[in-house]
Formats: sequence, C-alpha cells, structure tokens
Amino acid sequence: MDLGKFEADNTVSCRLSSPIPDVCKTEDCCLGIDEAGRGPVLGPMVYGICFCPVSKKEDLKDLKVADSKTLTEEQRESLFVKLDEAKSFVGWALQVLSPNTISTSMLQRTKYNLNALSHDAAIGLVQYALDSGVQLKEVFVDTVGPAEKYQEKLSHRFPGVEVTVRPKADSLFPIVSAASICAKVARDHAVKGWKFLEDLGQVNTDYGSGYPNDPKTKSWLLKYLDPVFGYPQFVRFSWSTAQSLLDSNAVAVHWDDDEEDGEKAAACQNNASMLSYFSRNTHTHTHTHTHTQANGHHSSPREPHRFFTERRLHSVSSL
Amino acid sequence: MSSNSSVTTVQLGSVSQADELQVHLLPCEIEHDGPAEVSRYFTAAIKDRKHELTVSFRGRGFKGQEVICPQGYTGLVLKQVHKPSSDQEDGVVKVSSVFHNLTYWNLETPPSSDDGVVMAMGWPELAEAIHGPIED
Amino acid sequence: MSTKKKRSPRAESSSWVVIAADDVTKTATDEPTFVKLRNPATGGASLYLFGSCDAALYEVKAFTEDYHSWFIGQTVQRDGRLLYITPMDPLYLLLPYLQGAGAEGKFQPVEQVVKDEEFPGCTRLLSCTRSLASLHHVAEEKEVGSLKFHRFSQEKTLEWLRKKVERTVAALRNSSVCVGGGVKSSTFIRVKQEEQASDEDYLRYAHGLVSEYINEELSKDLLKHLQLPELSSPKQEPPAKKRKLSDHPVEAQDDYTKFNSSDFTRKPPKKMTAAQKSLAKVDKTGMKSLSAFFSPKVKQEKN
Repeated sequence: MDLGKFEADNTVSCRLSSPIPDVCKTEDCCLGIDEAGRGPVLGPMVYGICFCPVSKKEDLKDLKVADSKTLTEEQRESLFVKLDEAKSFVGWALQVLSPNTISTSMLQRTKYNLNALSHDAAIGLVQYALDSGVQLKEVFVDTVGPAEKYQEKLSHRFPGVEVTVRPKADSLFPIVSAASICAKVARDHAVKGWKFLEDLGQVNTDYGSGYPNDPKTKSWLLKYLDPVFGYPQFVRFSWSTAQSLLDSNAVAVHWDDDEEDGEKAAACQNNASMLSYFSRNTHTHTHTHTHTQANGHHSSPREPHRFFTERRLHSVSSL
Repeated sequence: MSSNSSVTTVQLGSVSQADELQVHLLPCEIEHDGPAEVSRYFTAAIKDRKHELTVSFRGRGFKGQEVICPQGYTGLVLKQVHKPSSDQEDGVVKVSSVFHNLTYWNLETPPSSDDGVVMAMGWPELAEAIHGPIED
Repeated sequence: MSTKKKRSPRAESSSWVVIAADDVTKTATDEPTFVKLRNPATGGASLYLFGSCDAALYEVKAFTEDYHSWFIGQTVQRDGRLLYITPMDPLYLLLPYLQGAGAEGKFQPVEQVVKDEEFPGCTRLLSCTRSLASLHHVAEEKEVGSLKFHRFSQEKTLEWLRKKVERTVAALRNSSVCVGGGVKSSTFIRVKQEEQASDEDYLRYAHGLVSEYINEELSKDLLKHLQLPELSSPKQEPPAKKRKLSDHPVEAQDDYTKFNSSDFTRKPPKKMTAAQKSLAKVDKTGMKSLSAFFSPKVKQEKN
C-alpha cells in the first residue's frame, strides 16, 4: 500500500484509493465501510470502503477475508495483497484522518466530536464511490455508536441505497471485512512509518498498541512529553490520557475559549486589572479632589479614543 | 509617590550584539517564562498553504501570517539586567534581540487585515502625525 | 476531558517585546531611559522614554490582547503584550504645566513652571530639542536680556492644536483607518462607511486622537475652535459639567516672580470667582503646580 500521499503531509486528512474496476460502473454493487485506529491515543484513524459487484460476493468470500481484528498483521498484509490482485472486480478507498486533524477538530472552538468526524469520513467515502460511477445498491457498515441513528443518517443521505448498519458487521459481511483489512493495513503502515514533522532526532518507535491502557504506550507518552509543547502531532491531544499527562507534567496553557466558569470570572478580573494599565482611573493626587469637590465634578475618566480601543492600545504606567 | 522618580535605563551597547530572532505571537497564554524547544516542535511543523501559515500547538489549530515592522521601526526584545528591589530603585534593561518581522497566530481563524496586531501596526504612522513638529 | 487549570497570577515580567522608532537605538549617543511622567490627559502616571541625552521624547503604548504569549527565539514569554515606542511631542506634556501657571496670568521662566514633586522627571522635558523651540506655539514669549519668560496663551494653543488636528486629518486620509461614525468590527460595514466618511468625520476623529494628549476642557475648547458641535451622547458628556478652564478668570498681567525686575511691577489679581476664593483658602503648602491644571485656581504667591 502506497501511503506517499499521506506521508507528504501527515498533518491533514487524506484520501487514498484503488482504481475503480470497470465492472463496478456497470453492475449493481455492494460496499462495506469500516474503520481502524479509533481508540488509540496516537497515530491516524483510517476509514475504509471496499466495493464489488453484488454478483461477485462469492468470489470475495473465496479470498477468505475475515474480520481484521482476528487476523495477525502478516495475515492482513497478505489478504490486502489478495484484494489488490482482485482489482478487476474489487475497489477500495481510504480516508486517513491525521492525529492532528483529530486533535484540532475535537478541541476546536465549535467542538467536532469523533462520531461526527467518523460519520462524515464514511459519508465522504460513499459519496466518492458514487461520484466515481460505482453502481451502489447495498451498503454495509460496522458501528460503534447507536446503529439506528447512523442507519437513518446514511439512508437519508443516500436515497436509493440499501443501508445496513450492524455491530460486528466486519465479521458478518465479507465486504466489510475487506474494508476493515484495507483500513487496518493503512493504519499500521502509517504508524510504523510515521514521519515526525517535529525535529526530534531518533524517536523510539516502540509505541505499543497505542491504546491508552498499554504500559508501553503510556511510558512512550511520558518519555516524549515536552513541558511546553506537550507532544508531537503524532499524539491525539484530545484524548483524556494525553490531557491528564499534560495537566500534571506540562506548563498550563490558557485559551480564550476555555470552558469553566471560574476561568471566565478570572478572565474578567484579569481584564479589570489590565484596565489599570490604562491609568485612566489612577488619579492619585491628593490635592485634585479638593477641586473636584469644589466644582461638584466627580472625575469620570474619559474613554480612550476608539482608535486605541479598537487596536487594543493603551498607555502603560510601568514596563 | 516617589516611585514615579525611578527610571529604567536601556543599555544600548547590547544592540549591535543582539541576535536577530524569530518571534511568534500566540493566541494563548502559556504559564511559563523561559526556554522552550520552539524550533523543534513549532517552527519545524509550520506549513505554508496559500499565503496562510498553519501550525498546531497543544492540539489546537493556528492560522497566521507574518507582519513586518512599520517603516523606520525595529522590533526589540528588552531583558532585565538589574531588577530594582523596590519601586523606588532604578532599573536597567538591555536589548537582547532584534526583529524586523513577526509572525502572529490566530486560534483557528484565518488571518486578515482586521486582526488586532495588523491594525496596531498602523499606530506609529499616525503617531508621527499627531506628534510631528508644527511649522511656524 | 480533564479539567482546566485556573490561571495563576502573572509574575512581573523580566522581558518585553517592543517595536521602537529607529532613532531610539540608532542616533542615541546616550542611553535612553524610561521615565514616568504625568499623562496630560489623565493626570495619572504614564510611561515615556527619553532618548539621545533627553533630546527626544517617546511615548510607550502597549498592544494587549488577553490570552496571548510570545515565542522569542527558543524561549517563551508569558506576557503577550507588544509595546510601541513612538515619537512624542514634548509640548503636550509641558502644556498642562504652562496652562496651570497661566491661570496666574504671569510671565514666568519655564524652569520655574515645569516642576512637579510627584513627577520629578518632568524637568527633563525642557532638555528636549523641540521643547524650548516650540513653546511659542502655546505661550507668549518675552525676552529680558538673555532670559526668556513665557505666559500660556489659550488662543495660540488652540491654533497650534488646530494645526495638529489638520496634520492628523491628512495622515488619516492616507491611512486605512476607518473614521466613519459608530464603527462596528464587521468588515462589511467598515467598507461601506469608509465610502461615506465625511470631512467632519475626519475632523472629529483627528480631534479625538489629539484629545488623547490634552485635558478634557481643552479638548472641548478645541472642538469649538474647530467649529464642531459637541455630540450629545452621554459618553462624550460627563453628567456634571465641569467649569471652563479656558477663559482667563484672572486678568493677565506681567509677573516676573523672583526676578523682581523693576520694569515689571506685580499687581494682585483683580477679581476672583467664588470657587477661586474658596480655593484660595485651602492651604496649598507643598501643592504641585500642576494640580492647577485639573481645575483653575489662583496659586498662592510666594514672596
């Protein structure tokens, strides 16, 4: 599998795909969707689709594809080779969601959660198949979220296509197993060959499984924790494992959209203290208020001109 | 009251030796003053896409651009040499580095001419008008 | 997601990011110094910088957005402020002292007028190259032998300020600053309003900018001088109307205090307003001459 396109820029999401078999453009097709790398705290999450003519379902079975999770890495690799050899009637496409995409989406101001991210990736892939001329009739999806809602969403999005969302679909439908193999192989390759954007020199690649409860993963996360930057973009900052390690081992970083009432209140206070920079209301002359009273005028400081307020410029009284 | 009489001297001898450094204005407050692996983790990861720079920090997406100092102006980083022990004592600072352009980063929003720093860069030109000498 | 930590109070900075006029570092023969002087608009302390053996004065303004920090080379600076050091006309800072002394209507040596216990640095303003050369813009001058004496002139000051405003208008027209009224941050609105910005918009805007460097009374007088009607927005007008400082309440006369030249005899003020009378009763021992600036008063004469 050639991940070159993803490796060229592993900070963003990227689509990889096989050529579309001609037969898929003329015959009714089934399509399976599965994902790999949803749980790990590091590396990309990969969404995969695999499709073939409905009439070729038996041929697919003969390739002995099974749920990728029950296979060893070597078995997956050889099955992927077999799928590739069956390119006259089997096609695939992948959406590689970089860990940076996952972090920045989940942590963004208007939160974009992982389910929405996954659904959108799946929908994008199905749309890609349709746009490429694949005669889609049946879609089979594995699900981790509530199946009905997802089924409804997909059916609504793709009228005329029969959508089956089913837990463990990857072990029930060979086309989903095929999709899961493609996704898992891509994920494995991406993690193994991860090109760190950061200039970290020789990085120990013994990440373990990448699952937060794996001791190897955990010790890797501790070893590569930087007190200011946290982690390289390889790590999903939005995972609570990463967050809590940072909370206890890295310097605190505050954002204007930090959610917490206390934080907001503190921000207000901070603004108030910042106002003292303006030195507009820091009249400290003991004598002037005599006049102020004599004039019946209570000093109401002038607002700085809007040129300065719009530019957030103000006088300071000390460095 | 007498605190107003203290002054802070800027040692200029340091200007010629001051390094030209890259400065980045970040859309977050980092509770830290001191060393950081900026080039390894940050600068190395900056991507230049269609006149818009992107990078991420702590899992948040930044978009930014470079702005140059106004004509006739230079960026200086002043560092404390002598910290006054009270507000009545004089201080001393030196020029530790200089810069002619800076990169500012917005949190998720694309940079535009409406951004605070860009607008603030217009101040020196106007200041020259408000404070320039009046001919007789 | 884990809980966010509260912001800890920020310790005093030990480094600052500054954008400074090149003259500050290039033409200086002496080391520049930051000093606190009395802000002419607020009366409070503001930071300024003297450069080139006090010959030039600069203003320090900070660009501050909350939740900002710097990367400077291979370091983090928590304080995300960006300081601007721009040239400052020293006359704006001298003006309140002259104006304060002007209430007495006497010609005086500026060295005697520009004194401020609270801000001893103010005397350095007189070393600025431009200061003495430009005093005639705001004061009448008299020369006696080699000595110069000055008396604040409201008329001259307003004319000087009008020129300042004009210069600022010209600069605004060449800039992208949006001077249209009631600006909101929307780009769309800004563009639309820019097309509609009138001469008055420019004049008013420039008046507002210059007013950042003069006291409120003078700002209002300048508005009249520019023949701009006062806006009746509550923000522009403080609830209690301050008594006007600008009219010379005391008849002007020559006064060369401490020089006792026989050519000039000192006369007592002819008439005092009620407020001035009440003020005259206040013990002003040790009072700073500048406090006169915040409200007119008759300074007790020292003999």
